[in-house]
Amino acid sequence: MKFRCERDTLFEALSSASRAVSSRSGALAVLSGIKLTLEGDQLTIVGSDLDLTISVSVDVGGDEDGVTVLPSRLLVDIVRALGAGAITLESTDGDMRITAARSEFTVRSYPPDEYPALVEPPTEGISIPASSLTEALRQVVPAASKDDSRPILTGVLLATEGDALRLVATDSYRLSVRDVTESAVLGEDQTVLIPSRALTEVARLLDDEGEVTLGLTERDASFRIGTTTVVTRLIEGEFPNYRGLIPDHHPNRMTVNRLELLDAVRRVRLLAQETTPVRLTMSSDGLDLKAITQDVGEASETIDGIYDGEELTVAFNPEYLIDGTDAASGDEVVLETVDALKPALIRTPEEPGFLYLLMPVRVS
Amino acid sequence: MPDATDPPGDVATNVIHLDMDAFYASVEVLRHPELVGKPVIVGAEGPRGVVAAASYEARAYGIGSAMPSLRARRLCPSAVFLPGDHGHYSDVSGRLMTIFASVTPLVEPLSLDEAFLDVTGARRLLGDAVAIAGELRTEILAKEGLHCSVGVARTKFLAKLASEAAKPSPSRGGPIPGRGVVHVPADREHSFLEPLDVSALWGVGKVTRERLYRLGVATVGDLARFDVDALCRVIGESAGRRLHDLSLGHDDRSVVPDRPVKSISFEQTYPTDLYDAERIQAELVRMSDGVAERLRHVGFFAKTVSVKVRLGDFTTLTRSITPPAPTNSGLEITALTSQLFNSVPLDGQGVRLLGVAAAGMVTDAPEQLQFDDPGFAGSAQNRVRDEVLDEIRDRFGPDAIAPAGAMSDGEVNVSRRGAQQWGPEGSTGPSSTTR
Repeated sequence: MKFRCERDTLFEALSSASRAVSSRSGALAVLSGIKLTLEGDQLTIVGSDLDLTISVSVDVGGDEDGVTVLPSRLLVDIVRALGAGAITLESTDGDMRITAARSEFTVRSYPPDEYPALVEPPTEGISIPASSLTEALRQVVPAASKDDSRPILTGVLLATEGDALRLVATDSYRLSVRDVTESAVLGEDQTVLIPSRALTEVARLLDDEGEVTLGLTERDASFRIGTTTVVTRLIEGEFPNYRGLIPDHHPNRMTVNRLELLDAVRRVRLLAQETTPVRLTMSSDGLDLKAITQDVGEASETIDGIYDGEELTVAFNPEYLIDGTDAASGDEVVLETVDALKPALIRTPEEPGFLYLLMPVRVS
Repeated sequence: MPDATDPPGDVATNVIHLDMDAFYASVEVLRHPELVGKPVIVGAEGPRGVVAAASYEARAYGIGSAMPSLRARRLCPSAVFLPGDHGHYSDVSGRLMTIFASVTPLVEPLSLDEAFLDVTGARRLLGDAVAIAGELRTEILAKEGLHCSVGVARTKFLAKLASEAAKPSPSRGGPIPGRGVVHVPADREHSFLEPLDVSALWGVGKVTRERLYRLGVATVGDLARFDVDALCRVIGESAGRRLHDLSLGHDDRSVVPDRPVKSISFEQTYPTDLYDAERIQAELVRMSDGVAERLRHVGFFAKTVSVKVRLGDFTTLTRSITPPAPTNSGLEITALTSQLFNSVPLDGQGVRLLGVAAAGMVTDAPEQLQFDDPGFAGSAQNRVRDEVLDEIRDRFGPDAIAPAGAMSDGEVNVSRRGAQQWGPEGSTGPSSTTR
């Protein structure tokens, strides 16, 4: 294998693909490598931990076709360290020589035939405008659980809701739902559960233009974005019945400016240390936020708002409150509550396809 | 603390009163072996001096604490007077308190040589309070060469009376051993109290005793049967009610540790190194559950949880984690310790010692609620589960119920002190420490 390419092009492609490379030792050793395949002028870079695979194709000046697997971390570090300009990679008998300007590296490669065969993404797929998916992922993915002991909750549910593609994630403390209209890519009763880790990578790769092509097989999902493809195993199992979690009726409604709320929570949170919550007191005078940390101090702030309901104090984890308020776009948010122990709802009148349900913190 | 409505037979007796036998004198005899068997008095010998402590040999001459030294001297001219070395007694006492703390964080010292221990949380790992009391006596004798008497009962008041009943008797030839440990089961409190002189009750001094005698009240049993209102008219409202309650065995004071609890831990050295992953997991479940139970008993939530692993080659590794919210749930602590253990590189070695610790105590743990749906099995149900667990253990004993993960061969696996052979170091049974 031999080719030349620009440092920046190679670095960008390597960075993307290497994100799927397993960082855990003990897995198949060759999986800590990144696979490079050259056919003519097309270089395909693949990183995988078998659950998640990212492959990136870039145009290079190819001299001699070939396949090699190089230590991912080292290769990324080398290319990062090189200055802008042309880089030449040439394999010689189990080694890869990397030259740029007056630098030269020789790196031992893995035997390419040890690299496992990976799932081929389906060639067919359904396209979704990138811009609408970008926003939906930003709103929903953070609500997925990061706890691997609850695998189902680490996924984002994709389902059909009317003419919309619905995305749902919950970590059992909060729930984020977003409908992407005119993108009903799944069948009427079809649902898939996609690892949030894969969607985080998809979100990172998306830009506001173009489209993303979703391909599904029984066990895998693929997202094609330009010349990059993310393939992920689907999570098997039954997602909780999230519809049943949303109370039918919220007697109390507080409407506030979204950014004012966000800023106030971010300030008051400074005194909500060590898992102490932020207490929200809602009354016709507005929204009062308060945080008290024992032996440290307290903070409070009042913001204007329109309130319809009984005076009520509810405590929330400030991070979850920030996530929900941040996820809602638009100028105003409505915080709907039942009481201090029932789930509260954050919505925005400007975007009816979004909702964020959040469990309070019980304080003694 | 169980209240009076519990069926008496099922109520656990978890309060221990431990009182060293002739503490100062015994400590001095240890330092001065030539005094063994002699009447020894610790105290100032001057004209105004009083006896601080007397050996059982001296007590046989009628000498007792707080007696003027001159009178003691007259009663036993051959007694050896020692001036007393508070610093040294205090050092010994510190070591004793460390032994107590290895059993439970709930230690309430009354003085250098006596303390109350609440062992509710320790029962599961160490056995019931009577077994713990016996172990404590053995350990104190082995480590410090000192004897003590222990009372075990449902309340502090009864435990203290019980330790008194466990004491040796004085004789000129040395102490005649007493029962060492006296246990007052919940359903025998009344028969234990009945025959005691009223002066056994706290707050009954000479004057009160005289007044009670004049009412025909000589024993605790007499007092218990006496009309409480009539009693109040004679000795005052508050004293009357309090004494009457005590005579019935009612005493709702709990054991209050004088030092804040900073950590709760269990660790165990195994007679042979553990290799079996399931066995190790069962041990983690058992210790995590024990730590959680003790946290709940003391009313704390821990901010951090840690696991200590000593490998066959004595490499010792500690890993800790701060969960999103303070916890005292057995399931949560088990999940954390399993996760921590899995992050320890074993390099093919066996496990010589395992420990689970909880630190960073807070009394108020705001609880992040979870969605109420069967799809979210987890901490929302944990607190309820733990409450049920604690109640079952309170009523039916420490090994009535255990996490399935801690079961082996279909039996509830609850380790008890002395029930296993420990390694060559001898003292490395399941122990807990409080720092």
